[in-house]
Amino acid sequence: MIDLLFALSIGILFGIGVFQLLRRDLIKAAIGFAILFSAINLFFMAVGAFEGDFAPYVSNVEAGRQTSDPLIQALILTAIVVSFGSFSLVLGFVNIISRRYGTVDSDDINKLKH
Amino acid sequence: MELALIAAAPFGLSLLLATPFARITLGKLAQTILSSLVMAALFVWLISMAPRAQVEGAISQTIMWMPSAGISLSFYLDGLALLFGLLISGIGALIFFYAGFYFDDPKEHNRFIIWLLAFAGAMLAVVLAGNVLMMFIAWELTSITSFILIGFKGADDAAAREGAFKALFVTGLGALALLVGLVMLSAAAGDILHPEEEIRFVGDFASILQATTLHQHEWYLLFTILILLGGFTKSAQFPFHFWLPGAMSAPSPASAYLHSATMVKAGIYLFARLSPVMHANELWTNALLIAGLATMLVGAYFAVFQRDLKGLLAYSTVSKLGAIVAMIGLPNQSGLKAAFLGIIAHALYKSALFLVAGTIDHATGTRHIDRLGGLRRQMPILFWVTVVSALSMAGFPFLLGFVAKETLLDAMLHYTTSGTLLVMLIVTVSAAFTAMAGYMLIYDVFLGRPRTRLHFHQPSSWIRLGPALLALGSLSLGFLLEPFIVPILELAVPKSFELHLFAGFNDVFFLSAAILVAGFFLFRLRKSLIARITFPLSADAVYREFISYLEWAGTTVLQTQSGFVRYYLAIILGVVAIVLTVEGSRSEVFAGLQILPTDLSVTITDLAKIFMLVLVVAAGLLTVVVREHVKAAIAYGVIGYAIGVIFLINRAPDVALVQMLVETMATVLIIIMLGRIRADARLKVINNLWKGRHDHRGGLLRDLGISIVIGLSVFVFSLTALQNRAERQSIAEWHLANAKSVNTDDVVGAIVADFRGSDTLLEVAVFTTAALGVLTLLGRGRQQGGALTPSAARVSSLRETDASDGEDIQDATSLSTPFTRSVSFIVLPIAILIGLAQILFGGKGPGDGFTAGVTIGLAVSLWYVVLGYNEAKQLLPWFKPALIVRLGLIIAIANGLFPILINQGFMGHVEYDQALGIYDIVGSFGLHITSSLIFEIAIAIAVMGGIGIIIEAIAYPSERSREPAEALIGDSG
Repeated sequence: MIDLLFALSIGILFGIGVFQLLRRDLIKAAIGFAILFSAINLFFMAVGAFEGDFAPYVSNVEAGRQTSDPLIQALILTAIVVSFGSFSLVLGFVNIISRRYGTVDSDDINKLKH
Repeated sequence: MELALIAAAPFGLSLLLATPFARITLGKLAQTILSSLVMAALFVWLISMAPRAQVEGAISQTIMWMPSAGISLSFYLDGLALLFGLLISGIGALIFFYAGFYFDDPKEHNRFIIWLLAFAGAMLAVVLAGNVLMMFIAWELTSITSFILIGFKGADDAAAREGAFKALFVTGLGALALLVGLVMLSAAAGDILHPEEEIRFVGDFASILQATTLHQHEWYLLFTILILLGGFTKSAQFPFHFWLPGAMSAPSPASAYLHSATMVKAGIYLFARLSPVMHANELWTNALLIAGLATMLVGAYFAVFQRDLKGLLAYSTVSKLGAIVAMIGLPNQSGLKAAFLGIIAHALYKSALFLVAGTIDHATGTRHIDRLGGLRRQMPILFWVTVVSALSMAGFPFLLGFVAKETLLDAMLHYTTSGTLLVMLIVTVSAAFTAMAGYMLIYDVFLGRPRTRLHFHQPSSWIRLGPALLALGSLSLGFLLEPFIVPILELAVPKSFELHLFAGFNDVFFLSAAILVAGFFLFRLRKSLIARITFPLSADAVYREFISYLEWAGTTVLQTQSGFVRYYLAIILGVVAIVLTVEGSRSEVFAGLQILPTDLSVTITDLAKIFMLVLVVAAGLLTVVVREHVKAAIAYGVIGYAIGVIFLINRAPDVALVQMLVETMATVLIIIMLGRIRADARLKVINNLWKGRHDHRGGLLRDLGISIVIGLSVFVFSLTALQNRAERQSIAEWHLANAKSVNTDDVVGAIVADFRGSDTLLEVAVFTTAALGVLTLLGRGRQQGGALTPSAARVSSLRETDASDGEDIQDATSLSTPFTRSVSFIVLPIAILIGLAQILFGGKGPGDGFTAGVTIGLAVSLWYVVLGYNEAKQLLPWFKPALIVRLGLIIAIANGLFPILINQGFMGHVEYDQALGIYDIVGSFGLHITSSLIFEIAIAIAVMGGIGIIIEAIAYPSERSREPAEALIGDSG
């Protein structure tokens, strides 16, 4: 049941992210970009986290407790920081566009053509 | 190993001279002598290997590179490679010496020899390569370095840019053909040598040369044509010859070296290299012979009509290259002796002439033959250099060029199987034109009277050394055939031969003499000839037509483009959505339904998760529907926190901590940025939220459809993945079991800092690179008229709204109250302490370098939010993010490299406290000083610096605060 709900939320979140990316408002598009990252991190957590009742600590292992999967957590951890880096790059783009063209509406700019 | 070193040495020196250290400490003279000596040393080294190559036939050396894929760095030195290697290194030594006096500006000289050294290394790698792929890579490197050297003056010379592009375009296209041809060749060789295997690529020259039945292979026609195309374009054979005259925009030392003595002979090298297995088929020999003869004639004819000194030399080079190619094409490899002798003689006299032309250009400021004359008095030594070299080019007895021409005529006369009369006619006419060009060089440039008054600037006398030595070679080597030339040729030519300075008064001698006389008559008639000749069609014009068609096609395609980014995105994602719907998605959805979970039970923890998921989805929908950006940003923050809580429930405390900190940071970043964007621009976009470009809502349904299809596919994909979750990875169990060995309780921390340390190092590098990207984007934007801010026309539609409309939009700059100010003062030191604790005791609980970096970064950004850019910058003078990032990365890399010294490998685990004997002392504070601790500190510093860079760049005062909004709108027209 919980798997179904996780999958559903990830799907909805991903759809929202794509929809936001397609908005003419660049700030909303940037937020949509970040939502896509969140959806992906959530997916990795859902798919890689094995039901362990304890955090992955050596002390828990030594006490014979079933811990969650540490590897996927390490991967998500670095992914979060890196996705923040790329998100700030996106914000930087929005910022430079507003400085250069005086707008944050992507429908005002068709410089890609020239 | 020696061969690898020989090819690597010029590259190494090039890198060394490119460092700021070398540029400061080594003067122009030191760099000149160093580069020249290295090339001379390589020359001597290659000579010392000659006896070995003679005994063993060929020296093969292999350095394993990717043994599993059968790819290795292999080197191969036989007589042919030795001949070319000696030319590259020997002439290179003289050219590098010359270059030191050709350039007046030390910076320009440094830039030049860095690239020329890189070229020398690439060229040596071409001829020493033992494997077709490696040869191809080096081949392309020579094209690229040649491009840079031709366009050396490209910054302010359009002709140089065009010449460079033309050369790269022609040789690059040829190289593409060559690559396919070489791959097919090695597959064919594999077929022959290993018939039992389905597909086998044999790339080693040593093995390919064993495949003697290659000329009967079914692909022979195709790969021969492709390889010929590659060689013809590189060696400027007709009709691809036109790039070479265009390449004369290069500085003269580069022209002498690349476009006369070495690089243009790479195609010839390739033909000679493959000749033993290819020559048995008439397709190969006839193609070489015909293309070579055509090139020989066209080049010699065009040369005499050139008024630019270097243009004349370029076309005569084209002619000589054609002659050499034709000789390789003679049946039964009977022309190889003449071809190799021609290569040596040509390299000596032509590079001397190019260097003379460069010196004339340098001294008088012109290379135009009509404006020169009577230079003998000013340049007596170069005059004699030119006399010797130009007469060697004409084939005057008893210079080296004479011997070369005699052997050429002899080979052409006695070994062509059919059409000998036509061949001899072409050769004789070309040779007569070449002789004429030689006389012109001597008379029109150095004798006679000066035709225009030229400003003469005497160059350094050392500049004459290179040309003089080359001319000495042309003069003396004819008499020294036995000791110097014959041994090298014996290694390179597969059959025995005889070589004489003077073979007696035979038919060849009389023909040779007749050519010299005919050349003289042509020379006397040159004025009337030049006046009458027009060129109806040139290959260059065809090339120009082709390029203009390409440009036309580009413009036409552009007509179909809207230029609006989000429509491209909509098309891309729409195609994805259609493919998903039509192709696999429907059946996958049904398959997904079959894997719907049967277990529908819900536990108490699940309830908490469900609550959080509902929150995530609700907040996600909220970001779509709310109009104000601040609210959307906060809703986005809610998503982040809810996901953080889910991580926490899933027993991932470290991830949850990072997630919450980073999401806070991201939300703060959005809000800071909102304050930097003009309110009227934001208001306009808010008002137009649901409108399409033409104010209708058609786009909305389209976007909705795309999102639903993609979201649905992701749902099915995730459900499938979740239902078919793999067993727990064994590597995870290993991590759990071994985390104790690195003295950490926190297994996630141990993975990040130790087990997958190299991975983390790269992630940090990615993060700091992203920060650097923000800095480049926004940092440059500060300077008006800087590289990234051309004076773009403001968007005219902005007039629709008044600037004052935006006042009611919430702005982050209104956050500076006494309360918030005091909070931010208190928070920073606390954050630093928390960060320190997270690093030092990260092994015991959640928190590591990442969280520490983000925590401190967050506190710093609070200052920027509350106090504004200027005040924050003033109050935090020590916070220099660019320096901090560098410090972090340097510590991280040093920490990763140090274990190599004590044989622990890169990023190995080292217990410094145990090694220093302070384990018990620091241990009593609950500390362990290990390489992972230092790595965590480095991560924290780098992440903190990266966040600082981002915040500083984004928080920098917007234009609005400096210029009134009315002024911006005023100049929008």
